[in-house]
Parts: sequence; C-alpha cells; structure tokens
Amino acid sequence: MRKFREALEAGEFLVTAECGPPKGTDLKEMLKHAKELFGKVHALNATDNQSSVMRVSSLAICKLLLDMGHDPIFQLTCRDRNRLALQSDILGAHVLGIRNVLCLTGDYVTAGDHKGAKPVFDIESAQLLQVVNSLNNGKDMAGNELKGSTDMFPGATVTPEAKPIEPQLMKFRKKVKAGARFFQTQAIYDVENFKGFMKEARKYNVKILAGIVVLKSAGMATFINNNVPGITVPQNLIDELKAAGKEKALSAGLDIAARTIRAVRDICDGAHIMAIGMEDKVPEILKRAGI
Amino acid sequence: MIISKQKPLEELLDAIKNNNSFFLVGCSECASLCGTGDDAAIAEMKKRLEEKGKKVTGGFVAKTGCQVLGTKVELKKFKEAFDSAEALIIMSCGAGTQAAVEIFKDKPVYTANDTLFLGNMTRFRVFDERCSLCGECIINKTGGICPVTNCPKGLLNGPCGGMNNGKCEVDREKDCVWVRIYNRLNDLHRLDQMEEIAEPKDYGKHTKPSALTGKKD
Ligand code: SF4
Ligand code: SF4
Repeated sequence: MRKFREALEAGEFLVTAECGPPKGTDLKEMLKHAKELFGKVHALNATDNQSSVMRVSSLAICKLLLDMGHDPIFQLTCRDRNRLALQSDILGAHVLGIRNVLCLTGDYVTAGDHKGAKPVFDIESAQLLQVVNSLNNGKDMAGNELKGSTDMFPGATVTPEAKPIEPQLMKFRKKVKAGARFFQTQAIYDVENFKGFMKEARKYNVKILAGIVVLKSAGMATFINNNVPGITVPQNLIDELKAAGKEKALSAGLDIAARTIRAVRDICDGAHIMAIGMEDKVPEILKRAGI
Repeated sequence: MIISKQKPLEELLDAIKNNNSFFLVGCSECASLCGTGDDAAIAEMKKRLEEKGKKVTGGFVAKTGCQVLGTKVELKKFKEAFDSAEALIIMSCGAGTQAAVEIFKDKPVYTANDTLFLGNMTRFRVFDERCSLCGECIINKTGGICPVTNCPKGLLNGPCGGMNNGKCEVDREKDCVWVRIYNRLNDLHRLDQMEEIAEPKDYGKHTKPSALTGKKD
C-alpha cells in the first residue's frame, strides 16, 4: 500500500483509521489492532489525550506505528502544550521519521479525567497549521532560522454537521489558507448535508476524508450525544440500532458505517474511521463497504 | 468591577485561629456592589465572629480599599479601634487586602473574600465576566465581543469543533461566543473581518505583576 501522502497525491480513495493510545503502558491490545489494520489503511492516526483523558503520548505511539511499517498521522492538540512544546514536538516527530501531523485545538480539559488541569490553548488549530508550514520552511514561530527544516504534511479537522455551519465554514477557509492539505472530518451521519459541504470544499485544493464514527448500540449513540463534543448521532440511526436488538446492534452499527462509506465514496477523497474501542471491527467495515 | 464572594466561614475561622480580636475593613466600591464589603456585610461578619467567641474592636467601609494613600488617611480616625485589635480582616478584593498589608506593617491581615473576576453587573448582584484584562485588546476586530474571555479556550479564529447548535462545548447553557461574534459581524456587514487569520496572542503583553504609571509629565 502506498504511503498516505503519495496515495493522496495520486488521487486514490484514502482510508485512515484511529489508534487510541492506552491509559497505561500495556500496549498489547493496541498493537494487535494496529497489526490487523496493516495493509488495509493508508495511515493510522494516533490520538492525543483524546477527550482530554490522559494516555500514552501520541508521539510515542506514532513512532511505534512507524516501526511496524504503518504511516502514522501525529495528532497534536494545543490543549496541553504551549508554543515551545508544540514546535519542539513537531521537530521531534520529524526526526523520528513521522511525516503527517493533524493540527487540532483539542477538547476542553473538563471533558476528561483531569478536570483541574490548567488548559493551555496558547495558540489554536489554524495558527498551528501556520506553524507547521513555517517549520517546513526552515523558520520557527519567532522567525528564528532552523538548522534543518521539517517536512511535515499538515492536516486539520472540520465539522460539516455543525449548526450553524457558516462560522465553521469560515474557520475551514482559514485552515485552508493556513496551509492544511487534508481534512479528516468530524463524524458524518447526514450524507445529503455532507454533499452540500463538499460543494464548498471543492473550491479549494484540499483533500477531504469523511469521518466515520462507528456505533455499537443505541446506548453508545446516546452517550456520544451527551458526552462527546462535536458529534450528534441523528435519531433515525439510534432507532435503527434499537430496532436491531441487543444481539444484532453491533452488526447494524457496522452496516451504518459501511453504508456511509459507500455513500461518500464518489463525492470525497477518503474515509477516516474512528472506531472508538472497536478497532478490531475496522477490517469488517471495510469489507462491507466494498473496499 | 472586581467581583468577590465571601469565603466559607469555616475557612476564614481556620485562617484567623491564632488571633482573637479584629478590626474589619470593607470597601464602598466593587465589594459593596457585590455585598461582600458594605456596612451590612461588616455588621453580619461582626455578629458571626462574636458568636464564635471572637472580639471585634470596630470596622469601617473604606471609600476605595485598593487606593493605598486614601485608605491610610481615612483610617486615621479609627486609630484607637485598630490599635486595640490583634489583626485585621479585609472585606474587599485581594488588591484591597494587600493595600491593608502595606498599611499595617506589624499586624496580621486576613481576607474574608475570594476574588473572582472583572465583571459586568447585569442585574442586582448578578455578574458575568466579559474581559480578562489580557493587555492587548482585540475586540475592535471581533464586533466588540471578547473571545479571549467568553470562549473557554480563548480561541481567536472561530468556533471549535465542539460547538453544538450554537452552544458552547464546555457549557451547553451558554452560546458559543464565535456564533455571537459571527451574528454581530453579519448584522454590521463586517464578516470580512472574520476571514483574516488572527495572530497568536502576545502573552508578553501581560507578564505578572503588571504596573502602569498613568501620570502625564
Ligand atoms: S481582548 Fe478581551 S480580555 Fe483582552 S482587553 Fe479586550 S476585552 Fe479584555
Ligand atoms: S464552543 Fe465556542 S465558545 Fe465554546 S470552546 Fe468552542 S469555540 Fe469556544
């Protein structure tokens, strides 16, 4: 399989998935899932203290994925690092051989398990994209020359289902202007709405990977709606999971994911599968989606 | 104004446990509007301390408690009362308390309040924070609404991915400030201001402790 950036530049339909670093040093399960995805995805994202829950650092996981032969996407949030730490981690990623970075603002600290932590947010996603481009051009944020520049491929996120959408599109345009080359979107459930978003996105020279958040039950969908910032599972899908019954709910969830991938296949550039604890089901989703 | 809230009595009693007699100082400005440093608050504090067996030798509401020289002058007529107290309890903000620390060089000075934020009073004793004194005001570019303060993340370039139905990721009861800014700039036909990428803030503009000499020569 081609590396992420090459495949992107060659115009292939891209498949990426998420690798959630564990809370603790036992990597067995995560590495097992990563292995199962080998050859099935163009790149694997290592999430960065996802939902503000403290876990193994995304940079360390990226290095392990790289050693396995994966092409990692280094998720980097502004929540936990000031501008010095962000830049030195990007340089660090480069020297370790990591080449993709997803620039994120990050969820607020109260979403997670260290609610009293000091939130940093020294800079934010659009500015972080500018920083990556500056480091790629041999200069740090303060304008100092680097001895050896980076070669990082910057990406970002966008929420096509945000309501209202206009301020979100304005931010999307800023991220494009700031140098984002690809976008992994937040969860897509409403394909018609996504078509509308793609019409806007197609005005720019960026690749869009539709975000697929896998659901395993109606309960999980409700939990997401109440607790995960930026994702709303529509009622008709919750009903579909409910109707499938306890035993078949997971299978119905995988069908929903596969169906969404098939529906977006011809309108965007790829799919980004966020399996949230069901990483082992990603190959099955891809099979059902016909990929 | 500076918003303050009275500390729980238990916490105050623990802080003052080594002393028995006190002189109380309130403030007629912010702390009075907050109800934490007016005459009524002082009378109530006196009563509660006496119930706990402490002695109150007197008290007064300073005009502007954070104004060191003025407060020093006002205090003169209470000399006897504060001289006979072992310690002072200041019922204003942290700045007012430290003004008293500067004035009373040889007595312990305690604060009765927690100082919270720079606030707007929207109704009687209802306050919200709209400016966090960042040192370099940017609201001429954001429709006069401050994202540094009203967005929990202090974002300068638009809503985060957590905005939901116009509400904030962090507090779903509150509007996302970037939706408010968008709507206002839209009404003012100034959405062009939202297309510009705002630069990172210069936190060097607010290194603590700040100082300013406003005098013109
Ligand atoms: S930008 Fe906000 S915090 Fe800074 S001075 Fe202006 S109103 Fe206050
Ligand atoms: S939802 Fe809006 S106000 Fe809340 S953190 Fe995100 S950008 Fe800031």
